[in-house]
Amino acid sequence: MGNKQNKVTPEQQKYQQLQKKHELKRPVLKNCIKAFLVGGLICLIGQAVSYFYIYYFNFTEQTSGNPTVATMVFFSMLLTGFGVYDHIAQFAGAGSAVPVTGFGNAIISAAIEHRTEGFVLGVGGNMFKLAGSVILFGVFSAFVVALIKTLLVMWGVL
Amino acid sequence: MVKNLKKLYWQISTTVFMVFFLAGCGADNGNGSNNALLNATNPKPLNIAAKGKDNAETIKKDVSSMPEIYDVAVIEGKKDTLIAYKVKHMQRFRMKTIEKKLNKRLEKKYPKENFTVSSDYKIFLEAVRLKERIHKKGLPKDKAEKELQKIIKLQMEMT
Repeated sequence: MGNKQNKVTPEQQKYQQLQKKHELKRPVLKNCIKAFLVGGLICLIGQAVSYFYIYYFNFTEQTSGNPTVATMVFFSMLLTGFGVYDHIAQFAGAGSAVPVTGFGNAIISAAIEHRTEGFVLGVGGNMFKLAGSVILFGVFSAFVVALIKTLLVMWGVL
Repeated sequence: MVKNLKKLYWQISTTVFMVFFLAGCGADNGNGSNNALLNATNPKPLNIAAKGKDNAETIKKDVSSMPEIYDVAVIEGKKDTLIAYKVKHMQRFRMKTIEKKLNKRLEKKYPKENFTVSSDYKIFLEAVRLKERIHKKGLPKDKAEKELQKIIKLQMEMT
């Protein structure tokens, strides 16, 4: 590494300095605030959906989680299809990718992208390209945790 | 295009803000089941059991005396007694400990009673709704008991 730096010609050094001068700094704090606000807003909507299920259906606080997640994923899928979620994601960054709505976006955006390759090999084959790893990790880690818990219960630790 | 999008963002954000703002204005501070999720309702304890067994009032006092709890609904049925309560916001991190503490306290004081204790909002809401139906629509005691059993069954559900 040191040798390479020594070989930099004066022109290159000059160029590097110029590049550093004009390089845009990443607005980390601004991005964080945006992500926090939009992510929080998504969670607020999720909480409202959860209360809706508690209030009008036979779901308790514990059981309302599943339909709420399904609804939020469905909403984000619709918004992705209509092209709205992309703009939200561009503005919010991680704030829109980390909540479960990002999962719906990952599935549908991959499906739309590969639509030209056909329904089976294109949409079907590539739909879970991004989200597949998330599902696999979730299912496998849940399996491992459940296995550990079962063993601990069997041995009388828990 | 960009201008239109900005306009759209503003329209969406103002609409969302207005919906929540107006919803907040519209909520009155009544004690009915409509506001049970948001406000402290403090419903009167209810006894739908046969005569001669009326611990509901004292149970409610006991539970309310815990500093972490702020809204308690007690329904005393023939066999089971339902206690639904809300936990103060910052104390919600210690939900399980509070439930254990409450269970211990109740078991010690009322060893013969069969308690169903829940901090779930839904159970609280249903308890308030049942109380309202009994008082406003005059639900008979046997039907009220059935409804109470339904709530207890709902509390058992895990998924």
